[in-house]
Amino acid sequence: MTRTRGANAAGVVLKCVVAASAFVLASYLVWGLRSLIVPVSVGGLLAYICRPVVARLERGGIPRGLAMVLLLLIFALVALVGVHSVRAATPSDIAFLELRVRALYALNHRYRALMGLDPSWNRGNRLYQLTHRDLDPLLDRVNEMLALTPDEHAQFVASLERDTDVASARSNRLLDYDRANAQAHEMRARRTGGMEPAGRPVDGSAASAPPTSVAKSEPSGLGDVLSTWIIAPLIFLFLLWDTGSIKRGLLTAVPNRLFEPALAVMSDVDEALGNYVRGLFLECCALGLTVIVFITIVGVPFRWAITIGILVGASNVVPYMGFAAALLGGLAYALLAEDINPLVPLVTVESLAIWVVVAVALAELLKNVVYEPILLGGAVKLHPLVVVVSVLGAATLFGPAGMFLAIPTITVVRVLVASSARQLKAYGLI
Amino acid sequence: MKLTLPGIKELLLPSRATRGLADMAAIWARALFQAPDNAMTPRRSLVEFLAQVSLFEDLGRRDLARVARIVHERDYSDGEYICEAGKPGAALFVVRRGLVEVVRHAGGEEAPLALLEPPASFEESAALGTGVIRWFSVRARGPVSLLALGKSDLDALMLNFPVLANKILFRLAGIMAARLQMLIDAEGLRSSEEHHEGKG
Repeated sequence: MTRTRGANAAGVVLKCVVAASAFVLASYLVWGLRSLIVPVSVGGLLAYICRPVVARLERGGIPRGLAMVLLLLIFALVALVGVHSVRAATPSDIAFLELRVRALYALNHRYRALMGLDPSWNRGNRLYQLTHRDLDPLLDRVNEMLALTPDEHAQFVASLERDTDVASARSNRLLDYDRANAQAHEMRARRTGGMEPAGRPVDGSAASAPPTSVAKSEPSGLGDVLSTWIIAPLIFLFLLWDTGSIKRGLLTAVPNRLFEPALAVMSDVDEALGNYVRGLFLECCALGLTVIVFITIVGVPFRWAITIGILVGASNVVPYMGFAAALLGGLAYALLAEDINPLVPLVTVESLAIWVVVAVALAELLKNVVYEPILLGGAVKLHPLVVVVSVLGAATLFGPAGMFLAIPTITVVRVLVASSARQLKAYGLI
Repeated sequence: MKLTLPGIKELLLPSRATRGLADMAAIWARALFQAPDNAMTPRRSLVEFLAQVSLFEDLGRRDLARVARIVHERDYSDGEYICEAGKPGAALFVVRRGLVEVVRHAGGEEAPLALLEPPASFEESAALGTGVIRWFSVRARGPVSLLALGKSDLDALMLNFPVLANKILFRLAGIMAARLQMLIDAEGLRSSEEHHEGKG
């Protein structure tokens, strides 16, 4: 009797040790392979999104392999169009310098107007008195980032065209901006005790050094990224090709008495994750389209509206990030805009920022009131505090991967725990 | 003449089938639970085996191959319970090899109801997700190999291959309707027997 009791205790201890070792090993593997988490998840989630499409094609008589090839071709086409659009939208070196000059001018000009600053940049309105301790250093930082180095400045001046009247007028305007920027820089330098801001080195050596190091480190970084991300399409294809063998393989390892509960739990998790991923994908598309329409109406050119819309749709994967991206993108354009053609007559260049905020707020409202209940339904009903804490916590632990995967992980874990408890109770196992 | 009418136990247990009207019900029971050909060889492939199952008899070879890709193969040892009374079902089972017995626990006693051989199927209602709690248990008699088809597997079939899923669902509905009819008949026969006994 005593011997039997001792054997039972030893068995329990052994099981605990094995379970603890398995947990430690699993944690170590997750931590060690964390760089693969995002590519694997992206591949898996894309497969989840595309599975109904492949099923529909297969239902239409197209073999699964051919359906997958068609899907890959569509992806390749979309990627090509995307790369082409990004290239077309990416400014050249000279255009980028001009953009920085314009951005710096617009920023300083609007800041001065908002704060009621005098030409010496020392006295302003009540708002300035209340906020300048916090905002001035921030503005200085942005100024440092946007200011041209002497080499860049020389390049900028040399590139200005004067062939035609229009080009000449444009060049004069840019030179005016540049002069205003230099004046503002001087005023700010005086205000801060004559110290030269760090972003404007006296000679070009400091400016030329960082790109060299970046250029040196770029190929290895790109290689790392490619070698890590090569797994994403493999996972995508593998999961898309699978018609249940992964599930069957997992269930093979389940003891007979747990077979039916495990089947039910897997079904619940599959359904919840599928609903979430497909719902979120549709929501991202809907939000992106809404932002494109709304900001086009208030005067953002269609080309930039599409860029901002795609950015908003993609960043909406992370909670609250879509709203932030829409606001930042729209306001950045509003800051730089010199001439707009709004579909609403009330909008002017000066009031564009306000209208952008209104448009983005409306899009967000539409997302919360219409898209989310219809497309996501009850797939994710988490308290906002849980969302914020989990996204920030996961970002701290795993970086961008954590932000991206926090909510899907919580969704899966929640359904897994709830369904397991329900099934184990129904089958009298707990 | 006193007519002996069977209960559900006699109806479902072919070896105990009684005479007269009860024979008819027993034939029904056999037709539902037992294979027309009991001589199954283990060497037959899964697809060939599935072609023997009444549930899949409307399916072509291509569809059978699709079903073969989603069914779960489970092995049970002698005396092991495949499913138990009082618990919900999540999958239907098809006997591939060996024998299973359907039993009912009542008043602390175990009453055998039926002995199933390949390619009999049981627990069809579980695959439909009716959420019905089982009133019987099924236990392996000797080493048994079964195929299981879960509700989620049928859902996946409905999404990917609706025509195939419809064929299976029609067969399922037919089998369940036949079983229901059989139970109603059995209950009618039992009432009739009690009535005769009362008169006698």
